[in-house]
This record gives sequence, structure tokens and C-alpha cells, in this order.
Amino acid sequence: MQVILLAIATFIFAIDQFSLTETIYRPMIACPIIGLILGDLQTGLVIGGTYELMMVGNMPVGGAQPPNAVLGAVVAMVFAVKANMDVNTALGTAVIFSLFGQYAVTLTFTFMSGMMAKADKAAADANPAGITQVNLISMGLLGSLFAVCAVLAYIGGEAMAAPMAALKDNLSWLLGGLGAAGGMMRNVGFAVLLKIMLSNDLWGIFLAGFAAAAILGNIPATAGACLILVAFIGVAIAINDFNVSLRIKENAGNGGMSDGI
Amino acid sequence: MASNATSYKDLTPAANLDQGTLNAMVWRSLNLQASFNYERMQAAGWLWGILPGLEKIHTNNEDLSLSMEHNLEFFNTHPFLVTFVMGIVLSLEQQKADINTIRAVRVAAMGPLGGIGDAIFWFALVPITAGITANLAIAGNIVGPLLYLLIVFGVQMALRFWLMNWSYKLGTSAIGILTKNAKEFTRAASMLGVFIVGALTCNYANINLGMTIPNGESVIDVQGLLNGVLPAALSLAATLGCYVLIKKKNWSATKCILMLLVVGIVGCALGIWAGDYTSLIPVPWHA
Repeated sequence: MQVILLAIATFIFAIDQFSLTETIYRPMIACPIIGLILGDLQTGLVIGGTYELMMVGNMPVGGAQPPNAVLGAVVAMVFAVKANMDVNTALGTAVIFSLFGQYAVTLTFTFMSGMMAKADKAAADANPAGITQVNLISMGLLGSLFAVCAVLAYIGGEAMAAPMAALKDNLSWLLGGLGAAGGMMRNVGFAVLLKIMLSNDLWGIFLAGFAAAAILGNIPATAGACLILVAFIGVAIAINDFNVSLRIKENAGNGGMSDGI
Repeated sequence: MASNATSYKDLTPAANLDQGTLNAMVWRSLNLQASFNYERMQAAGWLWGILPGLEKIHTNNEDLSLSMEHNLEFFNTHPFLVTFVMGIVLSLEQQKADINTIRAVRVAAMGPLGGIGDAIFWFALVPITAGITANLAIAGNIVGPLLYLLIVFGVQMALRFWLMNWSYKLGTSAIGILTKNAKEFTRAASMLGVFIVGALTCNYANINLGMTIPNGESVIDVQGLLNGVLPAALSLAATLGCYVLIKKKNWSATKCILMLLVVGIVGCALGIWAGDYTSLIPVPWHA
């Protein structure tokens, strides 16, 4: 019974880390809930508070993937309550599991890139239900992978850590490759946008945007606000072009009138 | 991506969206990242979020399909601030603005919000709330997590509702000036869009070589050399490469994705890309 509730809770937290409330997956809330399931709320509160403070310096900023907090929290709770580990040992032993959480995320994000073709098909058919399906498949996949990891930790306990570490070492090139490929895939997304937006006379503007981000993004003082500052420059260029075009249009109109053609 | 139409069939502006539909979309916006992926990031979640509005606005299937297709392109913004982009885009969709205009405005609005959102939430609200409530929890007080949930989720939802309503009204009121000079506006908006995509190509760059070549005492870092030539050069090359394959060779996006998957995995087997892994074949340039 406990293990089923644990799987369900992990399933929900896995989805929540990117969707839903984006709040209950935080250790602060997730740990007490797991604590209730395992029958030790007190330990849940302590680990939750400790882990949350640890995570303050480890935020999901700018699309980076930190070691996964959800599996870290769930597995640390399992170890602390079932194996009576103290807080720090439990968090330490859970690290290998949180690494596999990160792999599960990478796998899902890669696989779902392929699923975008299905979403395109749904759009071409004007079929909203198809879009809902794609989203549900993704959430189900991510949730299931996480739930499996949590159940492994519950049943296998610490004994699972060694084989998982071995698996990680042997397959690291494959997982690293998926990660590297994942880093390149956004460029396909940009290429699709450009396919339509980039007329032949806008090449300079594209390169200027690239240059602006390269400059502002590499100066520590402006790196954080890079895209806002880039937008300021872009807006100036766009407004200027808009006004110039308007004036040309007005003049062309007047010229045509006075010539009487 | 099947069609390349630039305007909707039915150009009659649709009626204003009612508050119920706007609210429904605010709730749906929570699942923006439901099918997050490396290629288009939040695209499918974004489309799912605005679908209730799009279905009300585009009453014929052809236009709905057109709108769904262009709203499935690359999308990424801060999840807590997304309703701002939603309101603006919906007001343009409602006026049946040129598709290129809607795309350009969408791209221009989504980029800068990421930085603002990170600053508000991950660097301010969450650390402060955690600081206040974590000690309550460590002391064994259940109020800690409850307060945390109330503050973080409450602020987030309030902001989502407010931004949706504000930006929808803003977009609807500004639209009159824009439609009078639609052609010029589309052109200017496209410039801004292309400028931002150029910036994203650099700012979101995530392709790094991991090769190091021993050179006497020191070590030559190949990526470092490349950065000296042009920062984010590989991201620029990948974007332009895919652009040529898609535009000139008629490749599908899926085909590009599969190619990159092979490039990534083979590259790591040979120890070419950066990352914490052991290459399949031992090579001198990858530790």
C-alpha cells in the first residue's frame, strides 16, 4: 500500500516540477507529503526544510538541468525513514538516484522532440484533442519513469545504488550523447522560425541580433538582462523602420497625386 | 508547416473573448511545459493553453488549423509570466492580423520575459520564502510547508490572472493604430522577430566541444579556441545548417532531429562533445 502511494506521489511530483503548480514538487512540500505516506511526518519536515535551503542555490534557471530535486527528495525520505539514516547520509545516498532523475528528464525531452510530428499532424487536422494527447503522453512518460526509480529505491534500498552507479558508468557515453543532441535540437526550432521569417534582406538583422546577444551575454554586468537589452535594441530598429516606411508611403502617395498619373 | 499561407481566410475580427474563456486559459497556462522538449521547448503546452481562445476566434477549420500550425513553432518563455504573451497574441488572433505579424510579436515578447521571471521568482521570491519557512519546518512545524505553498503558488496565480487581463486589453486597444498600416507594421515586427531569433541563437547556445589537446605543460581547450574565433559559433552553424536543409532541401524538422541525435551520440562515443561521461572508444583528447 505504502509503495503504491509512494509511486503515485512521485508520479505527480515528476509532472509538477515542470507543470501544474510548479510548487508542490519543492522539497519543502514534497518531503512532508512523502513523510505522511511513510508514517513519519516529523522526518519529512526536517528533510524538507534542510533540502529546500540547500536548493536555494540550485534553481532551474534559464533551462539548465540541475541534479533532479524530486528524486533526490523522495529517495532521501525513503532512506531516512526505512533505513533510519540521518538527514545528511540519506541525502548523500540519494544522489545517484537524483542523477537518474536527470536522465529520465533528458530521455523524455528527447523523445518528445520526435512527438512534435504528431502535434503537427493534429494542427494540420485542426484537432485540439490531438494536442491534449501529446501533452498527456509526455506527462505520463515522465511521471512513470520517475515512479519506477522511486519504487526501485523503496524495494531495493541502498543495495540499488551500486548497480545503478555501474550502469551509469557503462552507459555514460550514450546518456551524454542524448544530452549533447538535446543541446543542439533547439537550433532546429530556430531554423523553422527562420524558414518563414527570414526574407533575403533581413540577414543582416539576424546577424546583428546574434552579435548583440554575444556582447551583452558575455559581460557579467549585463549577462542577466541580456535578452531584455537585446529587445530594447530590436525595438528601436523596428520602430525606426516602421516610421521610415510610413513616410515613404505618404510621400509616394503625394507624388502620385501631383503628377496626376 | 504544411501550408505557407500568410493570412487567414476569414478576416472579420472575432468578438471579444469573455472573462470565462480568459480564466480557463490562465488555468491551462499552468501546463505550459507539459510536453517540454529540446526541439520546440514549450510549443505544444503553449498551443494547448490558448486553444480555448483560438477555437472561439477561428470558427472555420481551415483558419483554426493555420493558427494551430504557426502556434506550434519554437516557443520558450518564463512559465509564470506566459499569460502576458497569451493576452497579446490572442488580441492579434482576434483581429485576424497577418500571420507573420502574430509570429513576430510572439517571438519578440517571449524572449525577454525569461530573464525578468528568473529575477522575480528564482532569485527573489523563492529564496526569501524558503528562508522564512524552512526553519519552521526544521523545527517540526507543519505551518512551514503550508505557508510556503500559499505564498509561492498564490503570488504566481495572482500574477498569471493579472497579466492575462492586462495584456489582452493592451493588445485590443493598440490594434486600431496597427491595422491602419498593417503592411509596414508586419515588416517592422518581422525585423524585430528575426533580430530576437538571432539573439536566441547566441543566448540559448548549448553545443560545446569537450576536446582537450595536451601541449607540453599546458592543455589546449578546443572550445576555448573556437570561442576566440566566434562565441556560440557551433550554435550559429547548426541553426544555419538546419535552415538550409529545411528551406532548400525540404527536410522535415523530424529528420533534422534524428540527424542531430546521431551526431550527438556518435560524437560522445568518440569523446568529441563536452560533458561528464566516458567515451565508448578511448581517445587521447577526452579524459
